[in-house]
Amino acid sequence: MTVLADALEHLVRGIVDNPDEVRVESLTTRRGRTLEVHVNPDDLGKVIGRGGRTATALRTVISGVGGRGIRVDVVDTDR
Amino acid sequence: MSDTVQEAGQDEQSVAAGGAEQAADQDSGSMARSEADLVREGDIAGDYLERLLDLLDYDGDIDLDVESGRAVVSVDGGKDLEKLVGSQGEVLEAVQELTRLAVQQETGVRSRLMLDIAGWRANRRNELSDLGRRTAEKVASTGKTQRLRPMSPFERKVVHDAVATVSGVTSEGEGEPPSRRVIVYRVG
Repeated sequence: MTVLADALEHLVRGIVDNPDEVRVESLTTRRGRTLEVHVNPDDLGKVIGRGGRTATALRTVISGVGGRGIRVDVVDTDR
Repeated sequence: MSDTVQEAGQDEQSVAAGGAEQAADQDSGSMARSEADLVREGDIAGDYLERLLDLLDYDGDIDLDVESGRAVVSVDGGKDLEKLVGSQGEVLEAVQELTRLAVQQETGVRSRLMLDIAGWRANRRNELSDLGRRTAEKVASTGKTQRLRPMSPFERKVVHDAVATVSGVTSEGEGEPPSRRVIVYRVG
């Protein structure tokens, strides 16, 4: 799981203006495993992308590598 | 092969611009990439992907090239790489999308680089090319219009190119993505 979190963190760091503020937390909830991506609020748009396209791409890669059922949530660092 | 590479991306419109690209205003940051720019795109993409492979502990060699005015990045190696392709190539498209964004983040310019992993695009290209040619030959002899299954922009482009090599038939797209498909019909 930490491999996935590290990979996701790397993928996100490469596409934002504030890579140092990217943090991925790995949570286990009743709904299963979740990778929570924290970014600077100014980078939220970049990570989500037009129509959610970039967030979808991130989810697709994580599913491909880690198997289905892993949630990827994007949140800003204020939360 | 280089012809099919040309339109492999999602952005059919920008590719359709073709020669006009050369004349595009460089300051607008839209098009007209020099060979050096494309080599740099490949380098940035290579670094991004190499780090990804390292973190996942996947074996892979990364090959960089420039073809038909775009950077081409190929990753080949162990069986693990199939996970970065996906059963329908959907993971590959996602990795390509993210890699383009990573390049754009560094250069400030939208990238049209093409990524292939484990030879997936190359294999698909051959299969689809065969399908396009066989379908065109069937339509040429029977006169019956054929509708192919829905395909991605990359897949449709390869099929159109293959149909174009057979005389007496033509092809066009029908429907809206993601159910857009190629139809082949007899002309003349």
